[in-house]
Amino acid sequence: MMAYATDLHQPRASKSNYDAIELEILWKRLISVVDEAAAAFVRTCFSTLVRDGNDFAIVLTDAQGRSLAQSTMSLPGFIGCLPATVRHFMDKFPADIMKPGDVFITNDPWKGSGHIHDVTTATPIFRDGKLVAFAAVVSHLPDIGGKLRSNSSREIYEEGLQIPPMRLLDGGSPNDVLIEMITQNIRVPEQGMGDIWAQVSACRMMSDRLQGLLDSVNLDDLGAEVRLRSENAMREAIRQIPDGSYTATVQHDGFEAPLYIQCKLTVSGDRIDIDYAGTSPQLPRALNVVPIYTFAYTVYGLKALLCPDIPNNEGSFAPITTTAPLGSLLNPTYPAASGGRSAIGHLLPAAVFKALSEVLPAKVWASGSPNSSMTMSGEYRGERFAVVNFLNAGQGATSRRAGFSALSFPANLGNTPVEMMEALAPIRVLRREIRRGSGGQGLHAGGSGISFEYELLPDASDVSASFLMTQLKSAPAGLAGGGAGHAGRLLLNGIQTDPTEPRVLKAGDRVLMETAGGGAYGAASA
Amino acid sequence: MKTSSTVPNTLRVAVDIGGTFTDGVAALSPAGRIWVGKTPTTPDDPGEAVSTVILNLLRQVSASKGSDAPQLAEVVHGTTLITNTLIERKGARTGLITTKGMRDALDIGREWRYDIYDLEIMMPQPLVTADCRVEVDERLNARGEVLTALDDATLDQMIVELKATGVESVAVSLLHSYVNDTHERQVAARLQAAMPSLAISLSSDLAREIKEFERTSTAAANAYVKPLVGQYLQELESRIEGIQRDIPLRVMVSSGGFTSAKAGAESPILLLESGPAAGVLSALNTARQNDVYQVLAFDMGGTTAKACVAVGGEPPIAHSFECARVERFKRGSGLPILIPSIELIEIGAGGGSIAYCNRLGLLNIGPESSGSVPGPACYGKGGKDATVTDADLLLGFLNPSNFLGGEMQLDLELAMKAMGRLADKLGMRTTDVAWGIYNMVNENMASAARIHIAENGHDPRDFAMVATGGAGPVHAVEVARKLRIPRVLIPIAAGAGSCLGMLAAPARVDRAWSNPQLLADTDWDQVATNLAKLKREGEVELASAGAKDVEWHIGAEMRYYGQGADVPVAIPYEAASASTGKAILAAFEAQYQKLYGRLVPNARPQVVTWRLTGRARTRGHHFEWGDNRVKTSAASRGKRSVYLPLVGDYRDIEVYDRYSVQPGQTLQGPLILEERESTIVVAVKSDVTILADLTVSVTIKEFE
Repeated sequence: MMAYATDLHQPRASKSNYDAIELEILWKRLISVVDEAAAAFVRTCFSTLVRDGNDFAIVLTDAQGRSLAQSTMSLPGFIGCLPATVRHFMDKFPADIMKPGDVFITNDPWKGSGHIHDVTTATPIFRDGKLVAFAAVVSHLPDIGGKLRSNSSREIYEEGLQIPPMRLLDGGSPNDVLIEMITQNIRVPEQGMGDIWAQVSACRMMSDRLQGLLDSVNLDDLGAEVRLRSENAMREAIRQIPDGSYTATVQHDGFEAPLYIQCKLTVSGDRIDIDYAGTSPQLPRALNVVPIYTFAYTVYGLKALLCPDIPNNEGSFAPITTTAPLGSLLNPTYPAASGGRSAIGHLLPAAVFKALSEVLPAKVWASGSPNSSMTMSGEYRGERFAVVNFLNAGQGATSRRAGFSALSFPANLGNTPVEMMEALAPIRVLRREIRRGSGGQGLHAGGSGISFEYELLPDASDVSASFLMTQLKSAPAGLAGGGAGHAGRLLLNGIQTDPTEPRVLKAGDRVLMETAGGGAYGAASA
Repeated sequence: MKTSSTVPNTLRVAVDIGGTFTDGVAALSPAGRIWVGKTPTTPDDPGEAVSTVILNLLRQVSASKGSDAPQLAEVVHGTTLITNTLIERKGARTGLITTKGMRDALDIGREWRYDIYDLEIMMPQPLVTADCRVEVDERLNARGEVLTALDDATLDQMIVELKATGVESVAVSLLHSYVNDTHERQVAARLQAAMPSLAISLSSDLAREIKEFERTSTAAANAYVKPLVGQYLQELESRIEGIQRDIPLRVMVSSGGFTSAKAGAESPILLLESGPAAGVLSALNTARQNDVYQVLAFDMGGTTAKACVAVGGEPPIAHSFECARVERFKRGSGLPILIPSIELIEIGAGGGSIAYCNRLGLLNIGPESSGSVPGPACYGKGGKDATVTDADLLLGFLNPSNFLGGEMQLDLELAMKAMGRLADKLGMRTTDVAWGIYNMVNENMASAARIHIAENGHDPRDFAMVATGGAGPVHAVEVARKLRIPRVLIPIAAGAGSCLGMLAAPARVDRAWSNPQLLADTDWDQVATNLAKLKREGEVELASAGAKDVEWHIGAEMRYYGQGADVPVAIPYEAASASTGKAILAAFEAQYQKLYGRLVPNARPQVVTWRLTGRARTRGHHFEWGDNRVKTSAASRGKRSVYLPLVGDYRDIEVYDRYSVQPGQTLQGPLILEERESTIVVAVKSDVTILADLTVSVTIKEFE
């Protein structure tokens, strides 16, 4: 069994070094250091995945790699992963050999954020020669080489270039060997390396900006205080839930047969332990979810449910553990493929909601659908292109209102403007519409999905395309008697198609992606 | 003092309609004498208050000048009408015409959540409902080439469908109209012919940018306010005509320039932030008068505080903006609007903002405000919550008998009670909470400004702050001290700052064209030809506005090819050639390095937009009081017990009437200067000097 938990110390009872005003002020400053770097990252990145897709996160950690603050618009799954990545860098590069100007890099799914398409960089921050903090950035690259991101991959080797934890910059000097290796292995290096350099800038900016704060603040004390506040708030919220074990099963389409996530959530006093025993075994497909990603999305669901308005940091994670059997879908062994892991990972908040729906009926959402995506690469008019576009779905209704249509949850991935898609790839979008009526019916209807249809331009050469879609067979369930939403579907030239295998699209080919509607809440009144 | 951009011996009036009051200032050029007027805003017929203020100002001028009073030469105008219409959703029934397949662009938006943890999140609702949208079968590709032409049958069908919706205003937003606007124009021509009374807004006129959601949102917002603003400006013109014939009415736009009332009625969304923009211009004018060119303009009123970082005497311009947020402090919760506007940061706290104890037991302030009714507890109108103004009063900063020049009495006891209740919840002493509120509001402001200054690659220690707004001078010195800004300027008539800004705006022309191209591929002959042509046109325009001694700059919005945001650079005007390219590249790399620390290896610099700017070189407009409020005797009004931050307790300090202190005189802080519209609080050691233009200059001498 592999467990994920941060150090489970008991909350400190000692008196705070800060008054209620000073602490709020300093806390905001920590967050603004990170937000400022996020703004710079969006401005300097080269791919639409960051600036339109929002597929990134930035975190500031202390010298032990414990999260202190995160960018406000972060992607939920990344937030839980980044501090752990910093700790993995520290395992390989002990603190005493780190130096100013070092930048570390990796895309190891187990040490990073669950698939090799996400690249993480981190830089140590020093004060008077002493290591005091880390800045870390993760983002999804438009391409990492290998086969296009697809659920058909059986092993990680097919998925692209693996970058173990390494130095990208050594005391400020670029690691030219590594950079040449990466450049050679990815389809559009101007974009991919451009995004990596933008990460480096963001890390450096955080390091610069933190210095001002360090003039007047001891980061260890402040870090301990903000973690304690967030931890206490989470524990207090957990205490409001009656002790006991709550269970839920959620289903994913699967391939030959459906997949199941078994969630047993145990509340005891001020802690929650989640055991995913009974979950389907790992697959020779790219849906496997590494433990840190399992932890990240589980904690995210609980945080949103229990204490949404408290700034998130390592303290928020402390009262929560997750475990899943080794070799299961939620704790796979190397060299499992994981490119499409979000389709499973994004179901974990739904599992948590379902488990707690009886004790928190006013708060939970009925099931909705995670995002889908469309990845294409090829050559058009003499230029190589590699694009990833996201497509969101309908979300579940609650006891108080209808579900949202066309909204990203539990991730926070934006779409790419149609005009931008058409500027970057040889396609013509025929429609991007609300898929009206696709939400479940009930007291409060589920949200609607999206209908997105496009065709390849008449002068396009063959294009490699991969579709990651979910909830095509199992529709998002309703809650408290509400109806399920409609399942999604993929049509190629009018024929319903299984998205597992990548495709080659030819000029004039027409693709229709329809995402699922969300579940309703409550039975419709007669 | 002579200025180059105004005609001598003229009387100009500026009027600003705010949420509570309509302010006006009359200014006589070239002497710069001013008269100030104020009347409650009349929301049902905003023009009424405008007339009242103008007539009041003309009476004041003629009382001072008698038969010498010159005729009114011009009225300049700013308004919050557009912002309020969008926030209150009181605009016209609006339609939207889109490319086939794109009718839901406003519903779909960007598909992300502005708050990742809030399960009760509310999303902004589109201004055009689903039943008022019409699709047309037409298509361009990303290069602007026609894939499906617009034919008559399609246009006829469009008219039938649109008539059925009963809309009085319509936005037209077709895919790729940012490269080719022909189809949008064809649609407009047919709409105009078939439905002559319909107000039409084209996305390609308003926001020529790639990204259909934001461009459509901008066009829809314009359409939503267009009938109302058109009618309002027309009525206003006729009212002014009634006061005096043939007076030109010019309206301020969000970027700090002016446009005619007619053009303003066509593109009212450009007026969205005209009031705050004018406030910044006022601050910059004061700075320019005193040879200060690194400015943090700081404006704090009853409900909001805003700041702007301006370097080199020019306000920074942002090209996107968000209005009518569902949650005021949350970025992304509003409607995106792609218009050029003076870049202001809102931190939200104003004098009326309410302080409370949050779930963590920590003090928080705002965004909720007590408004003007019931107002802060000390107003005695039934407000029970402790506000920033209550804290200011308890700390001794405000004089309970001199609020609004004594027109309003503040109740110390009620403020104390409200603060006491909050202190009990926080487990702190009342005084500590009052200080905490003041301190936190200032820190919020300072941290937002700090980020903004840093984002632009500057150091606050090189800046001076210019403070305006009713609460601005109360908080300015403390905010500056936190930022380590050594000097604070407080101009005359700080309360009517936006009107002075409109009167002080230097004549300028801005021209631009977009043609995204690698710098290496630039056709310099073409660029030189374009720039020279635009410069000739601009020279004619500036000459007709009376401007001489014009400074010209070539600007370029640049990025590395593949990025999504620009870094603006500018160089002095020259006949463009390949060497211009070298100068532009050097400017870009210097700016990029400064902002982001490291150039991107192997990336290709690109110019997205070329700009030409011409601006009258002016030292700024000098203003002095037209009435006789300036006293000749300088005397302390006595001492008052005031909380001093670096002492951590109350001390008796001197209180002066601001206008009793003579130009050239320097006083030693801590002290307080009281005036009719505000109070200048200087709670630390400092030199307080009255400058020739009656600006108060505070040089801070202790920071910790």
